[in-house]
Amino acid sequence: MPRNKAEKPRRTAGKARFNVGDRVRVKDLPNLFYSRTQMYVRGIVGTIAAYTYQDVIPEDEAFNRDGRLEQYYIVRFRQKDLWPEYPFDNDTVQTESPERWLEPADN
Amino acid sequence: MSAREQLRKQQELIGSLQPAIHLPQNWNYELEAPLYQAYVHPPHDVGGQFDVPVQYEEKEEEQWELDTYVTCEVLGWKGLWNSEERRRRADNDLGYALYLGIPYYGRWILAAARMLVDKNHISLVELVEKIAEVKARHAKK
Amino acid sequence: MSHAHSPGDGGEHPAAPMVEEITDFEVLEIAVRELAIEHGLFSADDHRRFTEWAESIGPAAGSRLVAKAWTDPAFKARVMEDAVKACKEIGIDWAEPTGFGTPSDYMNLRVLEDTPTLHHVIVCTLCSCYPRPLLGMSPEWYRTTNYRRRLVRWPRQVLAEFGLILPPEVEVRVEDSNQKCRFMVLPVRPEGTENWSEEQLAQIVTRDCMIGVALPRPGRTADVHPVHKARRPVQGPAHSPEAANEHKK
Repeated sequence: MPRNKAEKPRRTAGKARFNVGDRVRVKDLPNLFYSRTQMYVRGIVGTIAAYTYQDVIPEDEAFNRDGRLEQYYIVRFRQKDLWPEYPFDNDTVQTESPERWLEPADN
Repeated sequence: MSAREQLRKQQELIGSLQPAIHLPQNWNYELEAPLYQAYVHPPHDVGGQFDVPVQYEEKEEEQWELDTYVTCEVLGWKGLWNSEERRRRADNDLGYALYLGIPYYGRWILAAARMLVDKNHISLVELVEKIAEVKARHAKK
Repeated sequence: MSHAHSPGDGGEHPAAPMVEEITDFEVLEIAVRELAIEHGLFSADDHRRFTEWAESIGPAAGSRLVAKAWTDPAFKARVMEDAVKACKEIGIDWAEPTGFGTPSDYMNLRVLEDTPTLHHVIVCTLCSCYPRPLLGMSPEWYRTTNYRRRLVRWPRQVLAEFGLILPPEVEVRVEDSNQKCRFMVLPVRPEGTENWSEEQLAQIVTRDCMIGVALPRPGRTADVHPVHKARRPVQGPAHSPEAANEHKK
């Protein structure tokens, strides 16, 4: 039974795995039926820019599945790392990601 | 329409014609991995795909579009679905052809209708009979 | 149309019958809504209440927030600390109209502060997520696959099409609102606005400035785009493109 926000239990995700400033790589899990992790950031290394909130992942919520809560982050990428032809050094993109889609980047 | 506008429209039409490879045997036994990935790629994930500069415009909202938005949000408010499910249905489950071809709010209301049938709140027969009734109601005017 | 005259009709043409054109989508929406009400899934009053909220929102609220942030550094600090809470100071409650936020807009606003060396521009590449409580309904171009494909990869080209060209030293930062945060740009206050009142400042902070496709400047009080007219438009004040430019709410 889908719940609305008023009924959402106030669980917690526990300690966030990443800190602001950490270098993280976006995982590239098989892309089937639904995801909110965009093709253009998969496999790319970015930097944690901010914490946002804790919530279930969209791949669960879209199917009315009560998943565990996860920390969400804003991750910042250099445009030059995303697109081979990008000519400007300073430009960036930020997107938001739940924790399970991120792993530490080995530098 | 001015001559320049006519020329531009004609150029756009010519540019929209694309050759297609037609194979008489139109059933696949196998799919190469990149083609499989392309077929199952969630349609809404378009960031970075190629597209051309076009004239961006505002659009005056139709009454049915406002009503659709409100109907979909009220269904969410009352716990029938959440917005993530709405996006999954309207922006992905419809498939690529409908995703690109159906107007924005048309996809919203199709998704809402399908959700109500999927979850057994209404039956499909009820829905199509109601659609026929609404059409007949408006035809009488 | 027939131009035949029959004897005794006084030579006047009969009026053409009024054909009410109804689209398949309009039929479907009416069908869904009536069935939902018949089955008790929601009430007509629920629909009316949410419609009232939808008609009450518009970009004037965002303009007020920016103008106040420009003139009141302590308010700006509160906006950057907790934007949803700060919105209440300008009369916007992100919990409305349900008490727990709208199903699609959530309650996670983040304001993106521009500097002379950092320019933000917002897109939702996956759908069309937009901070409705603060800016009203999104413009049509923002929802198109065209904008969503191109802005994240060719931002400077797309901005140039809006008439905005930025030097290479300025960092153009695209914010892809792909989850539950909603974003709004706080532009740099332009020169030539010293000693302006909040009302005067709000006049030049248009919706396009708060998406990041335009810069505010004295004398620029409207976002000008061609308008595709509706066949049967909303019978209400809040959804015309002209209303998007109003700052009188």
